[in-house]
Amino acid sequence: MRFFSHKGLLSLFFLFVAFQGIAQGNFTISGYLKDASDGESLIGATVVVEGSTQGAISNTYGFYSLTLPQGEYTLVYSYLGYLTQKMPISLNSNQSIDVEMRLEGKELEEVVITSEALDENITRIGMSVEKLDARTIKKIPAFLGEADVINSIRTLPGVSTVGEGASGFNVRGGGVGQNLVLLDEAPVYNSSHMLGFFSVFNPDAVKDLKLYKGGIPARYGGRISSILDIQMKEGSTKKLGVQGGVGTIFSRIAVDAPIVKDKSSFILAARRSYIDVIARPFVDVLSDGGALNFYDITGKVNYKFSDKDRIYLSGYTGRDNFKFDANQGFSWGNSTLTFRWNHLMSSRLFMNISAIYADYDYKLEFGDTPSDKFDWKSRIRTITVKPDFSWYLNAKNEISFGGEIIRYDFNPADATTVSSNQETNISLDERFSYEGALYVSNKQTLGTRLSAEYGLRWSMFSYVGPGTIYEYGDVEPGKRRPVVNSYEAESGEVVSSFNNFEPRLAIRYKINEYSSIKASYNRMAQYIHLISNRTASIPLDVWNPSTNNIDPQIGDQIALGYFRNLKNNEYEVSVEGYYKQTQNQVEYIDGADLLINEFLEGDLLSGEGRAYGLEFLVKKQKGKLTGWASYTLAKTELKTEGINNGTWYPTRFDQRHNLKLTVIYNFNERWSLSSNFAFISGTPSTWPTDRYEVQGYLIPHNGNNSRNNLRIPAYHRLDVSVTLKGKKEKKGKPRKNEDYWVFGVYNLYGRENPFSIYFTQQGGRPAMGQPVPSTGVQVAIIGSIVPAFSYNFKF
Amino acid sequence: MKSLRFSILILLAGVFFSCEKEITPDLETADPQILVDAFITDQPGEQVIRIANSLPYFTASTLPPVRNASVEIKDDLGTVYIFTEKNEAGYYVWTPADPDSTFGRVGGEYALEIKTGNSTITSTVYMGRVPEIDTIQFTYEEESPFNAEGYVAEFFAVDPQGVGDTYWIKTFKNGAFLNLPGEINVAYDAAFSAGSNVDGQNFILPIRTSINPLDENEDGSLKPAYLPGDSIRVEIHSISEDAFNFFLQAQEQIDRPGGFGELFAVPLANLPTNLIATGQWENRVVGFFNVATVSQRSEWLDPDNLPPKNP
Repeated sequence: MRFFSHKGLLSLFFLFVAFQGIAQGNFTISGYLKDASDGESLIGATVVVEGSTQGAISNTYGFYSLTLPQGEYTLVYSYLGYLTQKMPISLNSNQSIDVEMRLEGKELEEVVITSEALDENITRIGMSVEKLDARTIKKIPAFLGEADVINSIRTLPGVSTVGEGASGFNVRGGGVGQNLVLLDEAPVYNSSHMLGFFSVFNPDAVKDLKLYKGGIPARYGGRISSILDIQMKEGSTKKLGVQGGVGTIFSRIAVDAPIVKDKSSFILAARRSYIDVIARPFVDVLSDGGALNFYDITGKVNYKFSDKDRIYLSGYTGRDNFKFDANQGFSWGNSTLTFRWNHLMSSRLFMNISAIYADYDYKLEFGDTPSDKFDWKSRIRTITVKPDFSWYLNAKNEISFGGEIIRYDFNPADATTVSSNQETNISLDERFSYEGALYVSNKQTLGTRLSAEYGLRWSMFSYVGPGTIYEYGDVEPGKRRPVVNSYEAESGEVVSSFNNFEPRLAIRYKINEYSSIKASYNRMAQYIHLISNRTASIPLDVWNPSTNNIDPQIGDQIALGYFRNLKNNEYEVSVEGYYKQTQNQVEYIDGADLLINEFLEGDLLSGEGRAYGLEFLVKKQKGKLTGWASYTLAKTELKTEGINNGTWYPTRFDQRHNLKLTVIYNFNERWSLSSNFAFISGTPSTWPTDRYEVQGYLIPHNGNNSRNNLRIPAYHRLDVSVTLKGKKEKKGKPRKNEDYWVFGVYNLYGRENPFSIYFTQQGGRPAMGQPVPSTGVQVAIIGSIVPAFSYNFKF
Repeated sequence: MKSLRFSILILLAGVFFSCEKEITPDLETADPQILVDAFITDQPGEQVIRIANSLPYFTASTLPPVRNASVEIKDDLGTVYIFTEKNEAGYYVWTPADPDSTFGRVGGEYALEIKTGNSTITSTVYMGRVPEIDTIQFTYEEESPFNAEGYVAEFFAVDPQGVGDTYWIKTFKNGAFLNLPGEINVAYDAAFSAGSNVDGQNFILPIRTSINPLDENEDGSLKPAYLPGDSIRVEIHSISEDAFNFFLQAQEQIDRPGGFGELFAVPLANLPTNLIATGQWENRVVGFFNVATVSQRSEWLDPDNLPPKNP
């Protein structure tokens, strides 16, 4: 409490007065930047004072604020793909200027691959940030012809996956559960549809996404590897729009329209896969309630009360169903709801308060009669309240501060078995915890060349009752730890709590107009853990809080990068190197039992990690040929007492070389071709050295106790797709509707890319008394050419 | 209709296009392990312990026997059971003194001691209890996507009151042990795992029905489990909790789902052992020691005379 003493308050007051003093004689220009055609706010558009380096960038809600001394200026508003607007102003009072920007014309729209000012990668302070917009995502050749957010970001440097069908993605050697995925600020605990082939984000409703791999700003926290921040569209404030598509695997439709012109609008988008609907007449197994599908609905509304206040409500709900019949099967889904209130406290102080609900659950049901069945539901639910403030102090300083409080409700197993009408509840205790954070950061221009963003986040976490708390004894590392004590914690009783200071720093030094050097450091703390010892991340993985037995994960990362643009910003080239150290990574004993196990924490181990790598990116932004090439050279290792004889071993997603090419070629107004190529080093896997037999069963054994000791063969794949746009004119008149066909081929040369290799006895019944024959089997999840088409429309 | 039977697999395959091929990659080498395969029961006749060395994984020959070991089991009453190498190298046999006597008693403690070279290998276990099998039933099943036309068997037995009984359920069809990895059937009390507290009741599904053979036709479809005239014998062996974990993990490791199911599989991990070695085999011993009592029941499938249904 000392901080809030009179002395503290007094000094804060003086600080404030001092800043006010600096601001004497200055005036502020502020407002919103929007797309003229549909009123969608533009994120990351720039406002620059012509002939100077002073400027501002619009925030998530399109708001900008720029404070300058009294005088005559010309402001330049720009955003890639839009006509640059110049506006002379004479600044002698605070002014509010909203700008509606027009698309540069259809031709350029086709080639836009980033929605940022052309030299933004040079001038931006942040590094290790990847941006994609919906138009780019739709250009990348996609699995089964369907544009997908997660599949798109897997084409970027430093991002990888362990293989086809695996959920989520890996960033700079981090696990899937070390990425924070936000949809309009709501955490998405499992982002996959159809296991991992598609993600839950409907590209028709996505406006913009940013992936922070390093140099993570202080306003984000909670995961040690990356932040994927996805913003949904608001919906047109000008006119009704409908867009959609019919594809091989699913169909989609999105509607957006103004509710009150220029004040309120909505967007509603839905998708459903229909493989079971098509198959049902031919397939008897899908009668009586069987299903194999997914659906999702994404929606958002907003209302502008005044120039100072605007609210947004956005939500998502979706589910995947794999059901053998009405009573048996497996399903999972997310639901999120975000309420946001933007309030302009002054032309220089922007506030947003968000209240967020997020829910992920899965369900397994087996047994076709009520007298004999097994039901298991698992769920994680969170409620978050999050105030954020941006204070545009002057043209050189932009201060952000705010906080966050999250309430977690973990329900790992709500399960019952019924056997011959005897019902037994095998549920595990629900677990509760709270996470809180406060942060402050400043984005500061230090002269014409040097800029910095520095900040501090303080995070805390409490694991609270009610519940049974277990304490485990020490054993030889790598073995199951026995329960030595247990007690009942009361409701609200703090069982264990943690807190961490997380410093963040990013610096940019502009060498000249075309090149810059950037450096960053960040510390991240992660208090909830995704528990999975499977080959790939799957929807059945459960989240677990930090407890008296599990410490929070801590990650420190430094990164250094060189950024250069060539040929008048036609080409962007960058090289980044990073080094990461992590503590308290969750690992598992051999034979760990992770499903419905009350004593799960006795099977967990804690290790340290290190990851380092170099990422190269070349991007071509203009012309008939656009695209990017990314190459990552990386290494990721863990060290855990009780695994691999206590020495360093590579993680499952350690990939030495990861090369990806994305090329888009526009032949003319109607035809374009896009192509993807990936080459990825084989991932490590644990293979046996020896065989032995127990009771006639062949047992593979690693006599060196090594982990991930060998690698599966390399992965490579080429995809191609062709887009044909509908005619612009019909009988000499311009058509109202736009439409296009996409014909795609995934895995063009039909390579059977290995996902894993497993070792077992050969199929068939072994003859008693004979040696049991051993075999190795290489599995390809997608082992053939996959053609697809989709028809897409917009009117 | 036959072609539609595995339509769910086709459906999945249609979506996921998975495929497999057998390969023989180069593996690391390691010093050989010593294997002790010692599953002793209280059934009449000889009891056998196998001692051998492991082989490189892809070497498809009989495991080299470990000869001239001294093998004995001592119980908590001071009785010593000597196992000697008889006809077959590496197989150590105890023969009851008179044909009616059997090995061990429920609740007894048994200490195995093996001496070979400069190494001593030891392990101590208890003999647990088992319930009687009340009935084995056959039910006629029409052809469905999951079943071939034929009979499926189900046994009923009630786990005794008290948490912590662990069982290995072995099934013999027409006298032959069902020895596929997918046919491994173990239970913790009446269910699958410690801490689930399903105790003192009938074994739950699918434990009761995991006594059906998983033989496949060439196209990968299942053969009928039982047909008229077939016989079945189900045995419940008492095993230690460690042995239960051993079988559970063995099944996870060697009963591979294959194909698309490999997404859900766990990576390779060494199986636990309850044997401790000193000397040259220290930290290089694998296998298991267990002493079991056994309850069993046999049935013959006569469609005209099916046993009465369990209520």
